[in-house]
Amino acid sequence: MKISRVLLAVLLTMALILSACGPQAPDCSKPEVFCVGLVTDVGKIDDKSFNQSTWDGVKQAEKELGAIVNYIETTDAKDYDKNIATFVDAGYDVIVTVGFGLGEASIAAAKKYPNVYFIGVDQFQAWAVDDDPTNDLPNLAGLIFPEDQAGFLVGALAAMMTKTGKIGGVFGTDAVPPVWRFGEGYRAGALYINPNVEIFIVYHNDVGFDKTFTDPEWGAQTANSMVDKGVDVIFGGGGKTGNGAVIAAAQRGIYAIGVDTDQYYTLPEAASRLLTSAMKLLTPGTFELIKFAKDDQAGVGAFPAGNYLGKCGYAPFHELENEVPAEVKAKMEEINRMLLDGTLQTNVLPAKPSE
Amino acid sequence: MDWRRFGFIALIIAILFSVMVLIGRVQTSPIVIVTSMMATTIAVATPLTLGALSGIFCERAGVVNIGIEGMMLAAAFFGWLASIYLNHVYKFAPLPSLIGGVVAAVLTGGLFALLHALLSVTFKVDQIIGGTVINILAVGITGFLNRQLFFEEGSIFGGDVPHAPGTLPRIAIPILADFPVVGRIFDQQPITFAAILLVMVTHFVLFYTRWGLRTRAVGEHPRAADTVGISVERVRYMNVVIGGLMAGLGGAYFTLESVSSFEPLMTNGRGFISLAAMIFGNWTPFGAWAAALIFGAAQALQINMQFFREVIPPQLAILQISYVVGLAPYILTMIILTGIVGKTVPPAADGQPYEK
Repeated sequence: MKISRVLLAVLLTMALILSACGPQAPDCSKPEVFCVGLVTDVGKIDDKSFNQSTWDGVKQAEKELGAIVNYIETTDAKDYDKNIATFVDAGYDVIVTVGFGLGEASIAAAKKYPNVYFIGVDQFQAWAVDDDPTNDLPNLAGLIFPEDQAGFLVGALAAMMTKTGKIGGVFGTDAVPPVWRFGEGYRAGALYINPNVEIFIVYHNDVGFDKTFTDPEWGAQTANSMVDKGVDVIFGGGGKTGNGAVIAAAQRGIYAIGVDTDQYYTLPEAASRLLTSAMKLLTPGTFELIKFAKDDQAGVGAFPAGNYLGKCGYAPFHELENEVPAEVKAKMEEINRMLLDGTLQTNVLPAKPSE
Repeated sequence: MDWRRFGFIALIIAILFSVMVLIGRVQTSPIVIVTSMMATTIAVATPLTLGALSGIFCERAGVVNIGIEGMMLAAAFFGWLASIYLNHVYKFAPLPSLIGGVVAAVLTGGLFALLHALLSVTFKVDQIIGGTVINILAVGITGFLNRQLFFEEGSIFGGDVPHAPGTLPRIAIPILADFPVVGRIFDQQPITFAAILLVMVTHFVLFYTRWGLRTRAVGEHPRAADTVGISVERVRYMNVVIGGLMAGLGGAYFTLESVSSFEPLMTNGRGFISLAAMIFGNWTPFGAWAAALIFGAAQALQINMQFFREVIPPQLAILQISYVVGLAPYILTMIILTGIVGKTVPPAADGQPYEK
C-alpha cells in the first residue's frame, strides 16, 4: 500500500516534469534559424476549426520560408502565459497565438519580450486605434477579419436559395463588434440580392457575456421559432449559441449556414443540410504575417504592428453541391470578387451605433 | 388549487401574447405568431417544469434542493454520453441510443439526488450546503470528463467531434395535432409531453394518494408523522430521489431533445429558475407549470420582439431592449412573493433536518 503510493507520487512527478519539457528545438536561438511557434486556444491542434486553419498557415511558412515550426496545445486557460514563455525561452522568432481568448496574454508577452514577433489571430488591438502612442507595441499584430463581408456573402446566398422569401440569422450579443458585423453584413447581402426578402435577425442580448455564446438551447429554440414562421435558411453566428441554431435548422430540414471556419467538419449533425459557412480565411492571413515578420527581421520590410485585416470567404457547398444552381454559384463568385477588389461595399458600420 | 394565482398567471401569459400579436400583425398573421410563440413557450418551459416538479417532491418532504441545476447539468452530460456510446461503440440505431440516453440521464439525476439525500437526511448537513456541493460537483465532473473523453490525446473519438445520434423525434398526436393554432401543442417532442403528463401525475400523487399525504405530513410536521409510525428518513430519501429522476429528465431535454450536443455549463441557471417557478406556483404542480409557462412566454416574446423590430411603434421602443422583457418573470416572482395574489406558503418543515 505504502510503496504503491510512493511509486504513484514519483510517477506523477515525472509526468509533470516530462510534460513541462515542451518542444525540442535547440537551434532556434541562433539568429540564422527562423522559428515559428503556435500556441492554441484551449483545444486540439487538429480541431478542424481555428487552431487547425491557423496551423496550416504556419505549415505553409515551413514549406515556403524554410521556417522551423512547432506548436503547444493549451489544455487550461491558466497556461497561456506559460506556453508562450516556453517558445520564447527556446529562442523562437515568431509566436502565433490563436483566438480571442489569448488576447491579453499576447499583449503582456509582447511587452515582456520586445525581440519576439507576436501574431494574435482574431485579436483586435485596441491600442492601435487610440491616440496614446506610449502603449504601442511594434512587435504585435492582431489578425482581424472583415466579418461584414463574410456575412454579406452568405446573406446573398441565403436570399438566392430561399423559396419562401424569408431568411433568418441567430447570433450572440451585438455588443461584440464582429458578431454585429456578421449579422448586419448578412442583412446587407440579402437585401443586395432581393430588397423584398424578409429577414429575421435575433441577437442573444438578454444574458451576460458569459452566457451569450454558450447557450445552444436558446439558439435551437430561436431557430425553431423562425422555422415556424416560414423561414427556410438560417445563419448561426455566435459560438455554441449559433451552433445550436445551425443544428436545429438542419434537424428541421431547412438550409443551415455555419460561421468562422468550414463547419461541415465541426458540426457533423448538421452536415447534410449545411449550405455553406461564412469563413475567416485564417491560413493565408497567418502566412502573410509570418512572412512580414521574416522580412522585418532581415531588414527588407516592415512588420504591420497593430491590426492586420485578413480576408473572408464562403465554404464549399459539400453535400448540397447539386442543389445550388449554376447561376447562383456564378453570382457568388462575382460578389466575392467584387468584395475583394473593393468595387462592392457592404456599408456596414464597424460596430453597433450607440443609441 | 389556488385559482386566483392561476388566473393571474393566465392573464400575464395572455398579455405577453397579445402584445406580440398587436405589434407583429402588420407583418405576419396573428395565427402564425400565436402558433409559433406557443411552440416556443411550451418547449422553453419543459426543463423548467421538470426542475420545478423535482423541487416540489423534495421540498414537500421537507428537503430544500438547490442542487437541481447541477443534477440537470450532470444528467444532460451523461445522457448525451450514453447515447453516443450506444450509437458508436455498441452500434445501436439512433432512436434506441437516444432512449438509452434518456434512461441514463434520469438515473444520473437519481444518483446525484441520492447523494443529496445522504448528505441532508442521514448526515443532517445544512441542506443549502448539500445542494451547493451537488452544483459544484456537476460542473467539475462534466467539464473534466467532456474534455478528457473528447478533446484529449487517445480519447475514444481521437479528438474528433463526436457525431451524436441526433434528437428525439417530434410526435404529432393524431386528430388533435390537426387543429389550427392549438394543434401545435399536440405536435411536440416526447420529453415535452412527458413533462406535461408528469405535472398531472405529480398533482394526483401529492394530493390523492397515501404516499402524497405522508410526504406532505413529513414536510409539514415530521414529528407528528413519526409519532404515527411513518419513517421520516425513508419518505425523505424516496422523495429526494424521485425529485432527482425528474431533474434528470429535465437534463435530458438539453442534449437529447433540444440540441444534440453538450456544452459545459449549458443549463445556464435554468435549475435555479425552476426553483423560482416552484415558489411562484406555491409548491403545487399546476402552479409551477403555469409559472414555467410564463418564463417560456417571456422568452418567446423576447425572440419575437426582435423579429418585428422594424414595425415596433416608437412608444413601445423600450420593449426592444431585451433585458426589459427578460426581467419580467423575475419581477413577477417578486410581486407574487409580496402576497398580493394569495399568500405563498412553503412547507413548514422545509429545510430542517429531522432529529428524533
